[in-house]
Amino acid sequence: MIINFNTAAELAIVCWAIGSLLSLLASRTPALKLPAFLLSVAGSLVMIGFIAFYWSALDRPPLRTLGETRLWYAALIPLVGFLVEYRWKIGWLKYYCMALATFFLSINILHPEVFDKTLMPALQSPWFVPHVVVYLVGYVLLAASSVTALHNVYLQVRKKGNNTGESVSHFLALLGFVFLSFGLIFGALWAKEAWGHYWTWDPKETWAFLSWLAYLGYLHAFRYKISQSKLQWYLALAFVVLLVCWFGVNYLPSAQNSVHTYTQS
Amino acid sequence: MVVVRRRWFQAPWEFRESAVFTAIAVIAGFFIQVAASGRGIAMPHLPFNAIALSFLGIVVLSTGLAFRNTPAVKWFGSIPLGLCLILALAVLSLIGGIIPQQPVAQESLQVLLGLNQIFSSWPFAVTVLIFLANLGISLSWKLIPFKLQNLQFILFHAGFWIALSCAIVGSSDLQRLVVPINIGKANNLGYTMESDTPQHLPLSIFLHDFSLEEYPPQLLLYDPHNDKLLMNKAQAILEVRKGTTATWQGIEVLVLDYLPYALPGKDGVPQSADRKTGIPFAKVRIITASTQREAWISTGSPLLKPDAAQLDGLYLIMMPGTPKSFRSAVTVQDEKGHETMANLEVNHPVSFMGWKLYQMGYDEKAGRWSKLSLIEVIHDPWLPAVYLGFFMIMAGNILFFWNGIKRTEVVK
Repeated sequence: MIINFNTAAELAIVCWAIGSLLSLLASRTPALKLPAFLLSVAGSLVMIGFIAFYWSALDRPPLRTLGETRLWYAALIPLVGFLVEYRWKIGWLKYYCMALATFFLSINILHPEVFDKTLMPALQSPWFVPHVVVYLVGYVLLAASSVTALHNVYLQVRKKGNNTGESVSHFLALLGFVFLSFGLIFGALWAKEAWGHYWTWDPKETWAFLSWLAYLGYLHAFRYKISQSKLQWYLALAFVVLLVCWFGVNYLPSAQNSVHTYTQS
Repeated sequence: MVVVRRRWFQAPWEFRESAVFTAIAVIAGFFIQVAASGRGIAMPHLPFNAIALSFLGIVVLSTGLAFRNTPAVKWFGSIPLGLCLILALAVLSLIGGIIPQQPVAQESLQVLLGLNQIFSSWPFAVTVLIFLANLGISLSWKLIPFKLQNLQFILFHAGFWIALSCAIVGSSDLQRLVVPINIGKANNLGYTMESDTPQHLPLSIFLHDFSLEEYPPQLLLYDPHNDKLLMNKAQAILEVRKGTTATWQGIEVLVLDYLPYALPGKDGVPQSADRKTGIPFAKVRIITASTQREAWISTGSPLLKPDAAQLDGLYLIMMPGTPKSFRSAVTVQDEKGHETMANLEVNHPVSFMGWKLYQMGYDEKAGRWSKLSLIEVIHDPWLPAVYLGFFMIMAGNILFFWNGIKRTEVVK
């Protein structure tokens, strides 16, 4: 293959690792803050560059297989960590995010996928990219929300007050929910053009609806007088439904006839 | 501080009462399902479903407004009940997300309870109905008196109400029929997924031509002893083109020549042919540690045997590419003489007199040589209403996003 995935992935991982290390050291030596940030961002930029390169080599959006979606998560999830640090001044989330990105890339390194340029006619649509990318961004935000909530739970157990952390998990869930809704509706509009109907209770649709309901439930529980500390458990666990939706659906008995199962190669 | 515990069913009702109520509703739904001996719900058609839905909307909104201070109505439009109903919908969807949703012939408890067709079952219908009432009542309070700050709430909740109710109530008016047509023929009979008896359509479709384009064929190495395809070193699908190279353990292959459309010649050398009859041929050079030779291989077709190259008990074969696109050139006509010509392609449906026509399939055994095209025709009068709901949800979401980004203060 023309582009070497392993080199790009390893370069990104090294960037994140050194970036994280410098960032940890920056608490003593503030001068390291900028290089740490630049290196961490560079890791994601390497992956974004690789995706762009891969896209043109494939002649189709690299969004068809599970491994290809992992590339996007790996590129995008550290960005959420940086956003949270910038917006809410919480530094620790980016380490989790970069670790998660490294984990995704490692799966791809260990299980290389077949380079395949074909794209079935139903996927050749202007909706393909917005539908999947909006979902990816939603998942990335909700993954970060879940990680934050888990961290909050941990702090609760250690009896440490943590209002900012609880706000962050909430706002990330809120933003993630918005993207989830858009992904769901884009999918419905596309389905009408490609398969003739906007909703057919295809297993993936059902699970997407379930995960949407899970976060809809969260937002309502939040609006009501349920304590936010209790809801951290909910947010931490809600992501499990998304994981089933992302790749678990492929293994369910209901998925035999789904149009949504990712190509396994 | 003295905490006074609220007794069961003492106003204001909250989660406990809502949970009990929802559970009873779902169980009652299952009872009705069993009493109807496993038959799902039969929705009336237009205009009766539209009248019933308008009636529901009016009753719900006016109840919400007229009794907005009554404890029972307050509870009915409250978040605790809403949350319990969301949970009930989630549990029912979970059943639908695990158990395959298809008609099953034999009698079983699963069929009796409607678990294999949960989304048209009574428990689902009952839950949705109560959910619509809950959602509608909470909406009425935000609608009147109208405040701009409630716009996001109104757009999202009203959009959801409209999309959900119209999608469910309108499902009875949805017509989806598959029309099989041969090239040079017209057809006005369509088949539903459920029955073998054709239905007359108010339109007829004439098929001028069907054409299918494939991705380039693939080069594969087949191991007949283990019935396995061997993966090449580059871990790539090998598209056959002039100059394509491939490497397997100890075997190197180079494509010297490639003819996308050709027929076998007299002397064994393929000759270029036209698109309709020709099949892909490739001249390959195979190099192993001890030998080097050249051979013509081909994909074959329904009429022609494929040619493979044999090497050390393995076969180098060429597989036809997967379909890249397929389209039907048609003329559609209705009974009043309206007529239109169109090219139907996947993802490019065509509208005609309230119907939408989709390229659905073809004779897959014949592949590129298929003389048959399957066209799906769909009539869904409720679509604009559902889309209105979708766009309201999206508009509400944009506002929600905007507020979410703006607010950064610590939530208390």
